[in-house]
Amino acid sequence: MAYKASKNPTTDLRERLFIPELLRGLAITTRHFLRNLFNPRDTNTQVVDRKGANLVSTVSYPEEKTPYPPGYRGLHRLVPRDDGKPRCVACYMCATICPAQCIYIEAGEYETGDPAGESRVIEKFPTQFVIDELRCIVCGLCVDACPKDAIRMDTGLHVPSEYTRSGFVWDIPKLLQGPPVSHPSDPWNKRPGSAPPQHQHREAHTRIGEGLVPLKLPGGEPHKRTEVTDQAIPVTRFLKE
Amino acid sequence: MKALSVLVAIGFIVGVIFVLSALAYLVGGWLGGAAWVSNLLILLLGFVMIIATFLTLAERKWSAMMQDRIGPNRATINVPGLRGRPLGGVFHVATDAIKMLTKEDFRPKVADPLLFGLAPILAFAPVLALFAVVPVGPVVRVKFDWFFIHANSPVGLQVSNPNFGMLWIFAIASLAVYGTSLAGWASNNKFALLGGVRASSQMISYEVALGLGLIGVMMAFSSVRIPDLIAGQTAMLWGSEGELGWLGKVGIPAWGIFLQPVGFIVFFAAAFAETKRAPFDVPEGESEIIGYFVEYSGMKFGLFMISEFAEVVILAAITTALFLGGWTFGFGFDSTLTRYFTSRDLGWLLGAIYATWFWVKVLILCYIQLAIRWTFPRFRYDQIQSLGWKILLPLALANIFITGALILLDPSLRSLAVVGVLEIGFVLALTLKRAEPAGGHDSHDAHGTADAHGHATAPLPGAAAASHH
Repeated sequence: MAYKASKNPTTDLRERLFIPELLRGLAITTRHFLRNLFNPRDTNTQVVDRKGANLVSTVSYPEEKTPYPPGYRGLHRLVPRDDGKPRCVACYMCATICPAQCIYIEAGEYETGDPAGESRVIEKFPTQFVIDELRCIVCGLCVDACPKDAIRMDTGLHVPSEYTRSGFVWDIPKLLQGPPVSHPSDPWNKRPGSAPPQHQHREAHTRIGEGLVPLKLPGGEPHKRTEVTDQAIPVTRFLKE
Repeated sequence: MKALSVLVAIGFIVGVIFVLSALAYLVGGWLGGAAWVSNLLILLLGFVMIIATFLTLAERKWSAMMQDRIGPNRATINVPGLRGRPLGGVFHVATDAIKMLTKEDFRPKVADPLLFGLAPILAFAPVLALFAVVPVGPVVRVKFDWFFIHANSPVGLQVSNPNFGMLWIFAIASLAVYGTSLAGWASNNKFALLGGVRASSQMISYEVALGLGLIGVMMAFSSVRIPDLIAGQTAMLWGSEGELGWLGKVGIPAWGIFLQPVGFIVFFAAAFAETKRAPFDVPEGESEIIGYFVEYSGMKFGLFMISEFAEVVILAAITTALFLGGWTFGFGFDSTLTRYFTSRDLGWLLGAIYATWFWVKVLILCYIQLAIRWTFPRFRYDQIQSLGWKILLPLALANIFITGALILLDPSLRSLAVVGVLEIGFVLALTLKRAEPAGGHDSHDAHGTADAHGHATAPLPGAAAASHH
């Protein structure tokens, strides 16, 4: 497969005369020139899908923006609950996993009997949640680590430019944005007496020993297969009493 | 829609050229014997400098289109009607000029102060002076009588018509080397010196081929005055006996490119090397030594750059005048056009039409030069020297001998034209022939195809005649 380079390449008359090859080269450039001069440019940001005789493949950036792919990790946001407070429960998992150590959290605790504590369904909340966007390496581990879906990188935005370094330190008022998110499994949605949750666990992923997945005992009775059941598993059992 | 706007823009450019040419004729007629003053101002400072300035933009914009890019399109002027309209980037001419004029004019401490300042002038002045002998339009009688402005005198769009004609071009073109070598030396920078040495050796080498390439044309028309050469090219080699309606006399004109295709190529290549543009841009060498103007900034550098583009315009103008029939249409239409306007005492209109046509040819040649720059890679330094001394020089000498022999044999120039047209046809046939598959003789090459053996060059009729290629 190696390309054989010869010090004495055999050329034909046209290449030795040089001028025909010059003219052919000029024809190529001129063809491109005329096609791009007389034909309108397709502004489709997906360059490979562009149609028409114009060959320009530039995406003229501020006017034309290529949409980001679905998994794009943009600027962080703290996800609000329905009542506008952050979903964050100040568990420190994101701050712990962050390789750049750019997240700083101070936790606060709801008083007993505080109506915001929602009957102590939620115990903790962040009094401070600060991300230094200059230190962030946009790895997305905080999103993966969060057990409460409280931090997301789904804004599709870049960090806006600032004149000072302190401008890049984002706190709760700046981070808390976007539509509120509510899951049926959220504790505050599962108070006794509330409507039965729409969401029902249909997989047998409960703990071993609770009846659905029998223990495998050597030499015992033939064990049942782990099976997917249609039986609804009452999620309210995880509620705190 | 875009094609329409492009055509409108082309029409606008041609219209501006026409108006300027007509103005040159009218003012020249009004000045009478002092028409050279208006020619100096309008041709050199108007046409050459404006076209050269716009070529700096065209270089960027056209190269972008050749390379499937967009090119400069951001500069706008914030006045009503123009707000947010880049108009294809024309305002970048203004931004470039403002940038050049307002940048710091830095001079290295170790540079020679006098020569450092003199070098850009010496590079620029000869280039502009070259154009003095190039005629843009024919000599016509301008006659008008408007209010208190009267004119009745023959005017030609040429600054000066000395009897040494072409020799002026050779002499002044050689002077341009002083600017570059002085710039290289006075900068006191080793890269600048290297660039200056490269530039001077390249320009001196190609000086020889440049002169010899034009000998054939001068022999064919027995003159060195460019108006005489253009007048010689208006003659028909083979043409209709009478006039064919409004088309006038139709036929093949004795254009220099038909008589002297080899001379054309030698001259064009040599003059291209004189302009120091790619593929002969080793003296400038942007990617490695920057060249003789590495220490220059601001408008001093701007002078070097604008002189390069002025050289492009002037090379195109000389080529048009010597090889493409100057301002004439050539293949027909000339005789009726001339009779129509001279019989109505509208000489200036005839001259303006012809001058416009001249400038259109010049612009097309400018495009070809820019396209050459953006098509071919740079020659290596030894390739430049061997092309100049081992290929172009012998080619030019052989061309002179063959041309002289053919002119002696047939003073009507027809046999010369037959040979020339056959040469052109031979080159075109080679160009249009389908490419041979890569591999050539190397039949063991895995990429070689079955019919890759030997050359399939058909024995064309012109092959023997063009044997001195």
